[in-house]
Amino acid sequence: MTVSFAVNGREVQIACDPGRTLLEVLREDLSLTGAKDGCGGEGECGACTVLLDGEPVNACLVLVGQVEGRRVETIEGLAPPGGELHPIQRAFVEAGAVQCGYCTPGAVLAARALLSREPDPSEEQIREALAGNLCRCTGYAKMVDAVRRAARELGREA
Amino acid sequence: MKPELGTVGRSEPRKDAREKVTGAARYVADLEAEGALWAAVLRSPHHSARIVSLGTERARRAPEVVAVVTSADVPGQKRYAAILADQPALAVDVVRHKGEPVALLVARTREAARSALGLLEVEYQELPAVLDPVAALEPGAPPVHENGNLLTRYQFTTGDPDAAFAGAEVVLEETFRVQRVAPGALEPEACLARWEGDGSLTLWVSSQKPFEDRRNVAAVLGLPEERVRIVSAVVGGAFGGKEDSGVAVLAGLAAWAARGTVRVVNDRWESFLAHPKRHPAVVRYRLAALRDGTILGVDVLGHLDKGAYASYGPAVAGIFTESLTGAYRIPAVRVDTRLAYTHAPFSGAMRGFGGPQAHFAVESMVDMLAARLELDPLEVRRRNAVRPGDRHYTGVPLDSSARSMERILAELERARKRLRLREAGPGRRAGVGVSLAVQSMGLGAHVPDDSTARLEWLPDGRVVILAGSPDLGQGLAVATEQLAAEALGLPAARVFTAPLDTRRSPDGGVTCASRMTYLTGNALRAAAARLEARLLEGAAELAGREVAELRYQAGEVLLPDGRRLAAGAVASRLAERGARLAAEAVASFAYPPERTPQEYPVGIPHVLHVFCGQVARVEVDPELGTVEVTDVVAVHDVGKAVNPAAVEGQIEGGVAQGLGYALSEDMPLKASGEWVDGFAEYLLPTARDVPRIECVLLEEAEASGPWGAKGVGEMGVAPTAPAVANAIFDAVGVRLTRLPASPEAILSSPGGPPPGERPR
Repeated sequence: MTVSFAVNGREVQIACDPGRTLLEVLREDLSLTGAKDGCGGEGECGACTVLLDGEPVNACLVLVGQVEGRRVETIEGLAPPGGELHPIQRAFVEAGAVQCGYCTPGAVLAARALLSREPDPSEEQIREALAGNLCRCTGYAKMVDAVRRAARELGREA
Repeated sequence: MKPELGTVGRSEPRKDAREKVTGAARYVADLEAEGALWAAVLRSPHHSARIVSLGTERARRAPEVVAVVTSADVPGQKRYAAILADQPALAVDVVRHKGEPVALLVARTREAARSALGLLEVEYQELPAVLDPVAALEPGAPPVHENGNLLTRYQFTTGDPDAAFAGAEVVLEETFRVQRVAPGALEPEACLARWEGDGSLTLWVSSQKPFEDRRNVAAVLGLPEERVRIVSAVVGGAFGGKEDSGVAVLAGLAAWAARGTVRVVNDRWESFLAHPKRHPAVVRYRLAALRDGTILGVDVLGHLDKGAYASYGPAVAGIFTESLTGAYRIPAVRVDTRLAYTHAPFSGAMRGFGGPQAHFAVESMVDMLAARLELDPLEVRRRNAVRPGDRHYTGVPLDSSARSMERILAELERARKRLRLREAGPGRRAGVGVSLAVQSMGLGAHVPDDSTARLEWLPDGRVVILAGSPDLGQGLAVATEQLAAEALGLPAARVFTAPLDTRRSPDGGVTCASRMTYLTGNALRAAAARLEARLLEGAAELAGREVAELRYQAGEVLLPDGRRLAAGAVASRLAERGARLAAEAVASFAYPPERTPQEYPVGIPHVLHVFCGQVARVEVDPELGTVEVTDVVAVHDVGKAVNPAAVEGQIEGGVAQGLGYALSEDMPLKASGEWVDGFAEYLLPTARDVPRIECVLLEEAEASGPWGAKGVGEMGVAPTAPAVANAIFDAVGVRLTRLPASPEAILSSPGGPPPGERPR
């Protein structure tokens, strides 16, 4: 069957088995490899986090048939290629929150979802929002700093 | 006065950060490859079994299957090696642990490869298994390998332990057990291998040791090494788990068999079962002391659970054995370490490399000594901590590295005082614990321990580092760019690191053992001096001058007439003649005989050390047995923080791994007979579990290090778990003797005196 949905503001139509996961379709059919598989497709690590109608989801647990007519945002949609980084991305770079980077796209999108519903989050809210995104490198300290920094930056822009 | 530094000491941005925050970074599984096939691995369902028969015909005939490989098909050596060639590429006659690769199947899609695994017909005859390192050494234990289950034993004695125990006013004995934990890099092991038309092989692999992978792949395929090329993609974390050639060997075999391009991308359960773990350990520790807290001697028997294959076990056992006295001066020492094969998934390298196991024992013991004597745990540490001029029990002088100890103790004291002021939440009890630790740098005496780095000045004015050791995500590239830039007097932005390619990059050695900043830094510093000399030679020739008339300054050559010649311009002119403006240098860890006792086995001792200490504050719910770590203060002597943000990142990440070791991570055999092998049950700390970590960086320069820098990769881990255990004791009087500290363990442990009645 054919599934139609929007990815990063662009309408796509994918002819595929609706039982495939959104993660497989993003990575294999659309070459959007920013979403990663870290746990074997069990929804345990958050490395495949994307936004579905603005809400963070594990793309490995979403079947592509479920996104018919919906809006998917991946890390590739956050900043134009070669263009200026989104303030959250910039904050991750500047805060030193990036090490191996495998969890980074998912964490950035989780932060984006948080900041769009809560522009001035507490540390507890930030940690809650990142709790589904496992990171083995950073101890989360600089990721939390990055989200706080991004909140300030976005607040200034608003 | 010290000369002002340019870039060293600044938190320069990492050049790979942009591609990582935009999703553009390509890890192995992200690489596009026209017509790439997929391999799947048939793995042992048994701890121990004989392979009676292995039928591949049905699988070979399946529509989308391209190739099937078993050990019978392996064209070269059947076994490969980290230290000892005991590990079959594919099982030979027997399987020795659940998850061991038995056969390899290549198909057009991942799904086809996986589903065709079911067509492989294996008949196993199950054999008795042993899963405990102590039981494995008892008479009659099921043998894992032909030569018995004792792989390595280290027995060292210093001073007179018998006299120490005879003269002791207090003797303590306890047995500690630490669990199997996984490195848990978020990117599972992966390799893309391409069989080339000329009969050579190119592999993109997520690895800590591309040059070792090249050796192993070549050996298994029976190819000369120069026909195997390894290219490093972006590596998604490693922590020791990618100090293992398993995935490269399998992908190489698959591409060779299929005569094509093949992907091997591990699932998480495969990573758990078939790649290195931190060795579980049983440590029986006896300690003799005087009533004033002076430690007279220790007597330690350690068993490390090797699992089924050697990997880096003998080297881990070495650092474990050296670490058993922690950061303390102990005049009489008897240690006996036994590294025992079992039928468990194999252990190997993992951050700390034997140090975390040893430190949990020694740091718990020191706290127990303080409790027994009603002394302050920090005071007992101060009384026994190493001082400049001391020697490690192996005889290695601890001169410069011990200089920081007094400052570390003072910082711990300050942090503890502050953290003790805070009250516990309602219904909870607060406690503060401390721990010291030592971590060695480098591979150890008599092990080739060098690193080569190459620098090239490009016509566009930038300098490229051809580094021979991969950045695993920790920031090796930015650190080495800063060190090279500093040496050349350039801004860090003008220096960048080329992707590692064994055809072009010199061999930098394995990225491990807290050795890279120190070693690559020294190699780059030497290479920079040579590059500068080449530049002056080239400029002299172009300008028709003598080299002695020219002067180098910050990327330019100053001519006697006042003109300046940019290095890029010289490189450009040289390039017109087909010459490169490049230089290479090797740096080695020095093991000078006067500092290196010679009576030990290969790999022992280590001669450079870093010291650190941590304070943890916990709140324990005495009804539920739950522990929340609310604060960690980490005090680390780093010699010189080349990039302070990156150093903090190493410490914070290390602490988080130490917290997992203390409280949540464990890979036991479940009642079902299966190992825990996924993140649903193997609990990595989340952003909610890791508290704010305060890093205190001390800089006692290491004279032999680049600008004084020491290694920082591993040291964050070792002190954390004992600091947490000691804090739990402080809070509720429960002495943990095993990790992790589950609520059950806390509730079922015999309690100590109620809080408030203990001396403070």
